[in-house]
Amino acid sequence: MLVNDPQAAHYKIDPSRINLAREFRAAPKGPHSDELQRVLHRMRWSAPGGRYVLVALEPGRRWMLARIPPTRGTPIETFPNRVFTDLAEAEWHVFRLRWRELTGDDLPDDLA
Amino acid sequence: MTDTNAVLGYATPLIVSPGEEIAFRLSSAVLGRAEARIVRVRCADPDPAGPGIRVAAPGSAIDGTVPLRHQPIHPGSFGIVADPQGLDGLASLSVGVFLWPTTPGSGEQTILSRWSGAAGWRFGLDGQGRLCFEVADGARRWIVTASRPLLEREWVFVGAVLDGASATLTLIQRSLDPQAGRDRSETITASGPARLPDTPSAPLLLAATSTGRDSPPTDRHLDGKLDRPRLHAVALDEAPLRALVEAVVPAPGDPDLLAAWDFSRGIPTDVAEDVGPRRQHATLHQLPARAMTGANWDGRTQSWREAPWLYGAIHFHADDMADCGWTPDLTLTIPTVWRSGYYSLELTAEHRGERVESHVPFFIRPARDGHREPLAVVASTATYLAYANSALRLDQVHAEAMLEGLIVLSRDDVYLQAHRELGLSTYDTHADGSGWCTSTAARPILNMRPRGNVFNYGADSLLLDWLETEGIGFDVVTDEDIHRQGLSALAPYRCVITASHPEYVSKEMLDAFDAYQRGGGRHMYLGGNGFYWRIAFHPTRPHTIEIRRGAVGLRTWEGEPGEGCLAFTGEPSGLWRANGRAPQRLVGVGFDAQVFDRSGWYHRLPDSFDPRVAFIFEGVGAEERIGDFGLRGGGAAGIEVDRADATLGSPPALMLLATCDRLGYGGIPAPEELRTLHRGFTGDQNARVRADMTFFPTAKGGAVFTTGSIAWVSALPHNGGANNVARITGNVLRRFLDPAPFKGFEDRA
Repeated sequence: MLVNDPQAAHYKIDPSRINLAREFRAAPKGPHSDELQRVLHRMRWSAPGGRYVLVALEPGRRWMLARIPPTRGTPIETFPNRVFTDLAEAEWHVFRLRWRELTGDDLPDDLA
Repeated sequence: MTDTNAVLGYATPLIVSPGEEIAFRLSSAVLGRAEARIVRVRCADPDPAGPGIRVAAPGSAIDGTVPLRHQPIHPGSFGIVADPQGLDGLASLSVGVFLWPTTPGSGEQTILSRWSGAAGWRFGLDGQGRLCFEVADGARRWIVTASRPLLEREWVFVGAVLDGASATLTLIQRSLDPQAGRDRSETITASGPARLPDTPSAPLLLAATSTGRDSPPTDRHLDGKLDRPRLHAVALDEAPLRALVEAVVPAPGDPDLLAAWDFSRGIPTDVAEDVGPRRQHATLHQLPARAMTGANWDGRTQSWREAPWLYGAIHFHADDMADCGWTPDLTLTIPTVWRSGYYSLELTAEHRGERVESHVPFFIRPARDGHREPLAVVASTATYLAYANSALRLDQVHAEAMLEGLIVLSRDDVYLQAHRELGLSTYDTHADGSGWCTSTAARPILNMRPRGNVFNYGADSLLLDWLETEGIGFDVVTDEDIHRQGLSALAPYRCVITASHPEYVSKEMLDAFDAYQRGGGRHMYLGGNGFYWRIAFHPTRPHTIEIRRGAVGLRTWEGEPGEGCLAFTGEPSGLWRANGRAPQRLVGVGFDAQVFDRSGWYHRLPDSFDPRVAFIFEGVGAEERIGDFGLRGGGAAGIEVDRADATLGSPPALMLLATCDRLGYGGIPAPEELRTLHRGFTGDQNARVRADMTFFPTAKGGAVFTTGSIAWVSALPHNGGANNVARITGNVLRRFLDPAPFKGFEDRA
């Protein structure tokens, strides 16, 4: 059986590399530098508490933050107070959440 | 926000002829009624950057209020002998089988059972994954349980014996590979009843236990394979019980042999044959996987047709779902004047202050003797089925990395996450990790309808909308009709379009397209990753496909060794490329890469200036970027892209018109494109990661035009249709509809 191992992405994100966060903020859809690509791969591969996603409230217009629980069949966890009207803002919000989860550090507020 | 699943349903048949009756089977757990109307689907994609939802209501006899009720879904495959013989009045009983459990410890499971109310017997696993045999007579219950859980995915011989003479229950388990920590062998005896309780009205069940209720009728389903189950009326010792199970064909004439199922017989059917003297055949429900390697499979063959006795296993899944079995709520005789096309029963209501709009899709085929348009659009129903209720983005670790950005779930995805009873797609894995090999339309399919996720059905509808806008008449022909009718389904048409992603193809379909092209047909393939996987339709069940994914191809799961041949037909499955018919041979191009981060645009190549194909680029400049826009990734070349390759069968007459060969690092080649491992394989460094636009003539005035990209049709609506993707598509289509032969190719076709 061929499986995708959730633990396979093991790149260690350097919390001092704020410049990579700044690069993502400026161009969330890329193209990205090699180092930022590694950061994003680590962030996108898996998350211990479940994967952050968006739920389309209105297709192409409004999206709500949500999280897919680690267990199949368990309802999606939604965050009704966190609604976006811009996908780039949503990407940035989740990037910050993941940065904190993976490095233990908050990104500085003035980065935005 | 629109609620798209407060009511759900499916149509039978999915594909219907004018004048034929269609039934709609509906269910709602929350609504008492809804407003129903039939609509012809023009655009199914709600994206506000495109045309948006566009449907037209022809008016039908069933338009109006429809009362709703809840119809439950009961997943889990099993076999049933409804009226078993020889099992009442017995003092003793022996059960033996080879077992390959896949989720021991996930809950109670059943190997074989006969249960009614408070009496009966069940041989299976307990909640901790330990083998157990329980017997109850309504007043007392006896049980014997193994000391340790079984191992996942390890064959074990298991037996359960009730010996009335000694009033004992015995469990036997022998690991077939006892080395290196795998041994779970043991024999355990406990006290039991002096005779088998009589349960005269109870069915005999393989891989489940009867609840005696309507809903659910069965529980404690098995995840895993059973091979050669045997049932005997004598308390056998281990050696004779093992010999009985080992024997592919048990010795004839044993009056105490109650059943000896041979799952290697009748593999394409829903019947599990009992080769013992009582012929207690079991009927299989919810399509468990057949043609599975047995405990005796030794690698000498990959084909169950060559050595069926090595394929005596069935893989049952507690989440198998092939037919919801709902009762019809509405029926309609399709008016003979309705055009062929994509249709839906649209259901609207209000629920909790939200608008409900749910669709039950179906397709109307052209009337056999009616008017035919010169153009047919192929509804890729095999591909729609392959993706039906895909939970890939919910379940698979790689999903977000592959899609290169935050996953956006639709309301349907949110529903599917909590409602796995709908059954998933052939992209998904069962709860036990094995792949879904089959998909059917006898269940609600959330992503094959208006407002569903945009891939496939929604993307193809952008082509329908463009044709309507251009005033170009067309018929709709489905994959399944091409499979069943062959060339006859395509031959009436001067031009046939296969749309965004005709990925799943049976041999019958491929032969039909091939014959169509060789017979002078004109084929526009406006998609990417087409004609890629080899599937079969079920020989008798409608709208049911099967796929086996092996070690080759871009696959979200990999089947077990030896299980690459289709149970429905015995054919090898996998890639057409591995079956001697790479897509390049049929349509000139074949799948080479995925690119999800951004789609690209085409630039013209020298062949595009050949006067023989000047018609294609009429109104398009020599240096013009073709398709630097679009709804999917901002370009016309993206998602999945195809290239020409003479070594894979692209014909010598092929003209390479244009290409998108700078797809960046997000262009990642398909696994079968790499011989060895090395850096430099992504699109920023690899010229073989590209989308090719091609043309070639075929015999008798036929021709093929390809764009090699899933994203192509999603660029058609850009700028109100005034764009060079639409212009090229229109140029080719008008010329392909013109019966005049192509000049200058007399020696090439």
